[in-house]
This record gives sequence, C-alpha cells and structure tokens, in this order.
Amino acid sequence: MGLLSKKDSKLILDPLADNNPITIQVLGICSALAITAELKASIVMSISVLFVLGVGNVVISLLRNIIPSKIRIIVQLIVVAALVIIVDQVLKAFAYELSKTLSVFVGLIITNCIIMGRFEAFALGNGPWRSFLDGIGNAAGYGVILIIVGFFRELLGSGTLLGFKVLGDPIEKTGLYSLGYENNGFMLLSPMALIVVGIIIWVQRSRNKALIEDH
Amino acid sequence: MAMDTDKNSYTVLFAVGMVLVVGSLLAFAASSLKPTIDENKRLEKQQNILYAMGVNENDESSANFVSTADAPDLFKKYIKKQLVIQGGEVSEDDQAYLIDVKKEQANAKAGQERRLPLFVGEKDGKSYYIAPIRGKGLWDAIWAYVAMDENMVVQGAYFDHKGETPGLGANIKQRFFMDDFIGEHLKANGTFKGITVAKGNADPKNLDKTDNEVDAIAGATITGDGVSAMIRSDLKLYVSYFNNLKNN
Amino acid sequence: MEHIELFFKSIFIDNMVFATFLGMCSYLAVSKKVSTAVGLGAAVIFVLAITVPLNWLLDQYLLQPGALVWLGGEYADFDLSFLSFIMFIATIATMVQLVEIVVEKFSPSLYNSLGIFLPLIAVNCAILGGSLFMQSREIATLGLATTYGIGSGIGWFLAILAIAAIREKIRYSSVPPALRGLGITFIITGLMAIGFMSFGGMLTGGDEESPKEEVTASVIEETKENSTLNEVETSEDKVVANNIKVNE
Repeated sequence: MGLLSKKDSKLILDPLADNNPITIQVLGICSALAITAELKASIVMSISVLFVLGVGNVVISLLRNIIPSKIRIIVQLIVVAALVIIVDQVLKAFAYELSKTLSVFVGLIITNCIIMGRFEAFALGNGPWRSFLDGIGNAAGYGVILIIVGFFRELLGSGTLLGFKVLGDPIEKTGLYSLGYENNGFMLLSPMALIVVGIIIWVQRSRNKALIEDH
Repeated sequence: MAMDTDKNSYTVLFAVGMVLVVGSLLAFAASSLKPTIDENKRLEKQQNILYAMGVNENDESSANFVSTADAPDLFKKYIKKQLVIQGGEVSEDDQAYLIDVKKEQANAKAGQERRLPLFVGEKDGKSYYIAPIRGKGLWDAIWAYVAMDENMVVQGAYFDHKGETPGLGANIKQRFFMDDFIGEHLKANGTFKGITVAKGNADPKNLDKTDNEVDAIAGATITGDGVSAMIRSDLKLYVSYFNNLKNN
Repeated sequence: MEHIELFFKSIFIDNMVFATFLGMCSYLAVSKKVSTAVGLGAAVIFVLAITVPLNWLLDQYLLQPGALVWLGGEYADFDLSFLSFIMFIATIATMVQLVEIVVEKFSPSLYNSLGIFLPLIAVNCAILGGSLFMQSREIATLGLATTYGIGSGIGWFLAILAIAAIREKIRYSSVPPALRGLGITFIITGLMAIGFMSFGGMLTGGDEESPKEEVTASVIEETKENSTLNEVETSEDKVVANNIKVNE
C-alpha cells in the first residue's frame, strides 16, 4: 500500500470485519432489514451509502471547527438531508430511470444511523482525508453485510440472483425444482433478515473469539 | 481556530447562515431543475398509459416502455380521445393525462366534484379505456393505469409505487403480477366487484378469469390489499360511464 | 371511535419495531436493562407525541402541494414537498434539543432519568418514520395525528420493554458463547416479529363482502356520498373507509 499509510488502511479494513458497523457497532440496522429481500436493492443501497457517507464525512470534517457544539446534531442531519435531496433532484432531472430505482432509498439513507454515527464518532474529530477513508471503510463494511444477507434471502426465498433464475424455473419445474425443491417464501419476510444477521454474527464471533460479549 | 464556538450569538449566527446557505441551495436546485423533472414526469405518464394498452417493448419477461423519444408521437397515434368525467358530465380535454389523481382525491374529500380522467385508445381495431387509479401500499403511495374494454374486462395494467419494499411489495411493477390482470373481469354478473389480490387463491395459475381474483405476491400482504382497495374504490367511479357507453 | 382504532392499530398492527423495523439501532443498543429501556421508551413516546402533530401542521400549512393557499390565491400552485425530509428532520432535532433544555431547567430529576437518552432520539429513525408515515398515510386531523404519535410511541415502548425483560432473563440461560449479547437479541427479535405478524390480520377482515348497492346508480351520487362520508369519517385508513362505503 504505497498510497495509504498503515494507519490509514486500517481505517478502511477494520470496519469490513472486526469493527463492522452492523454486527459490532449496531448501526444502520433498519435499512439492512428493509431492503435485503433482493440482491440488487442491497447493492444499490450499499453504493448510495458509500457515496453519501464518503462525501458527508468530508463535509462535516471540514466544518468541524466552526460547528457550534450545541446544535451539532441539527447541523449534521441537515448536511445529510440536503446532500441526499440535491442528489435526488439532479438524478430526477437527468437520469430519471435511475432516480426511480433510487427514490425508494432516499428516506432510508437520511435516517440511516450509520451516517450520523460516523459523523459524531469520527468526522467531528478528524481531518478530511482520514474522515473520507473512514466513511468509505464503514460504508463498505455495511455493504458487505447487506450483500451477504441479500444474497441468501433472494437465493433461498425466490430462487433467483439479481433476477436470474439460477435454480431453475419453479413453475415449469426445471433445474432443482424438478427434484422437488421449493422456494422458502419465509426468507422474503423481514423477520428472517434479523435472523440471518444473527447467524452472521454467530459465525463471525465463532471465528474471532475476542469479539464475544459477556452477556 | 481561536473562535468561541459555544457563544450563543455565534450559535444563532451559524444557524441563520446555515439556513440561508442550505435553503438557497435547495431552492436553486428545485426551481432550476423543475422544468426538466416535470417534462420527465409528463413523458413517463404517456409511457405508462401506452404500456397499459399494450403499446410497449416487452420482451421475454421484463417490462419495458416505449422509449421516451417515441412516447409523444405514439401517444398521439394511439390515444384517440382524452375524456374528463366530472359529476356525470363527460368532456374532452387533450391535457387530461396531466390531471393529478392525488389532488383530485384530496378535492373529493374536501367535498368538491372529482375530475376523473379517462383515455380512449385504439389499437388493431380494438378500443381501450384507460383509467388512472391511486391508493396506499405499505409505506407510501401506489398507483396504476388500468386499460379496460367496453365490458370492464381488463386488457392491461401498469402498476407503480413510491416506496414499497424491494423484492416484496415492489414486485407489483413486475410483469408476472401485472400480466395476471389481463383478461380479468371487473364485474361479476353485471355488477361491479373489482379485482381482489387474494392469498391462498384456489387458482394460482390464474386460469379462471371471471373469479375477480388474482394471485397475491408472497410476503406483500399490505401492498396487495392496497391494490385491491384502490381498484375497488377508484374504478367503481367509472362504472356509470361504461353503463352509459353500452346503452348508447 | 376512529381514535381508538388508530391508537390500537399503531401499537400492535403497525408496531414501529416489529412491523416496520424502524428505530432498530437504539432498540438493540439500549435494551440491556429494563430500567434504561423504560427511560428511552418513555422519551420516545414523549417526542413522538410532540413531533408528529407539529409536523402535521407543517405538512398541512407549508409543505403539501397547494398548502400555501392561506397566504393568498397566488400561492396555491407552490409545491414545497421536496422540503419534507429536511423540515421534518429539522423540527425533530430542534424539538429534541428544546425538550432537553426545558426538562433540564424545570425538572432535574426527570432530566437525570430521561436526559441522557434525548440526544439518542434525534437519530432514532422511528421518530422520523412516524412523521413520514403520518404524511404518506394522509392522516386527516391534528387530533388523529397526536393519537398516531402517542400510539406509535407506546408500540415502540412495549417492544423495547419486552426485549429488555427477555435479555435480563436470558443471562441465566446457556446461550452459545458466540451468540451471546447481540446475536441472540437479533434472533429473538426476529421470532418476536414473526409473532407480531399475526396481528396483521386484524382490522382488515370483512374485505370480501360484496357490494350491495346498485351499480347503475350514477357516478355523481356515488362520488358525493363517498366524499361526504370521507369527510365525516375522516378515517386515515382507506381499507376501513372502503368497508364503510361497501357496507352501505
């Protein structure tokens, strides 16, 4: 890593596993549950958060010395909201099709506590470049979990991946379905997202004993 | 920076400054982009209406509109008449497709007569009557364009939503759901019954077109109920128009 | 009557945590002990009860398309709805900090028990979710909006109270080490949510009744009837409103 010092690359790599925003910091759960019934939606959401968190962290970090501490929460919220709304309006004007896919996520991005959490915990106390790396790293860590959950829910729930029928056609009874396999519609329901995340936590903590909580 | 950021005066100044900056940014973005956005919305409406009457570029399984560049011409070509029904009076208005159904519903609640747009299209010698309807799903608004023939048998439908759950409620805009409506009867024994999105349907392959039911999407109960409700409440308003159509 | 209905509906059927999964972050993070959970839950009820009606006023008189009409006819065409998010969130953040200051000043004991949770609440998506649902479900009156806010808050309170009680007890069980803490909480919440899904069937029954009225009745009368009914009922729940129409 010539470009990044060891400390900087840690900023990106840590949130991917041992300090993951979803499974360790407990941030950004709502959206992780709401949109992971489909792999495509998970990917779109991850990319959007990557963008918003990266840019938002830089903005907050640049403003960190002039934001009055009393109203910092309002300032942070407004920075995210304004950022998201402007992007949404620009997309609506120049990339209408794309904006229709994304409009579902606008509200979810603004209320995503991962964004507020990183502003508060990191960007307010660090320089723009490090804040940018932290934003990218945390958004990537968030995205990894979203994509894993989306992968399993779509595969087991609808038998498709990104819309492609990878397991055969359930109505025509081809592929796996000819052997009597059935889709598990239960996987599509939101409660199953909670349980899948629970299992991811289980696997992660079994591999890294240091993360195990007392209770 | 040696500024005292805790002083009240500074806090107030900062707040005012931020409101001004953010407010003008947003207002600038909104007002300068509004014409482009409105144009996009207008074209989308034309595409949706054409889609419902079967003028589209559907391939195997995905739902595709006619291109935005072609939409205005095709719209002129296929849509013969645009009607506005208000309080039993039927009038023609070539801007009827711009009527905001949401606003009309709000007006109706406030006691005003609701203006009901209806688009009459013709394709291959067949007439299509396309009505826009609007209702609520799980999270936010859902709406649809339903194309019918003279007997209120559905000839095609386009569903859309503002923010239903991807993979569940959002699937109302997938072909497999919309195509189920084609051929479905809105009336039963001559009276309006609507179409219910039914779970545990006895007819999952949707072979019986006169049962007033289509199969629900697994895991999207509330969105499905919203679809049934908006079909029942909004399309019912058109019944007398169709009755008059047959009597004349 | 519709107050009671909306109240119980927002507690059980549309439970913030189990039906819409909003406010999960603080739900998971602050549910280790019953006493802290009660504090946060009470704060959520309080803030929702204030912000939902406040945002209702904002929405009604500022943001909705045509809401500015009270300023004069020439403002009727303004549509500020693109500002909803930012206005709602600013109101919430302001109210939270205001409440914090007021409570600290007048009731230090209440502040000691509630105060630490108030900043947490500004980022609780259940609060913004409450306001957005209020907007998208078109809740009709200020009173209903207050009921909705309180009901949703109580629903959230119940959820966090339940999980905190379970987490206190589960300490005495032999949970696999890697699942302890967060992992098992996720799984239990999933199971509780499945349980709460059974409430989903309530209040939506009776949809299947066939309409009894004559369809030949003219559109005018029907729309008039419906609009007056809607006015009287002012029920935010479309399904229920439809049932009333149908039963007529």
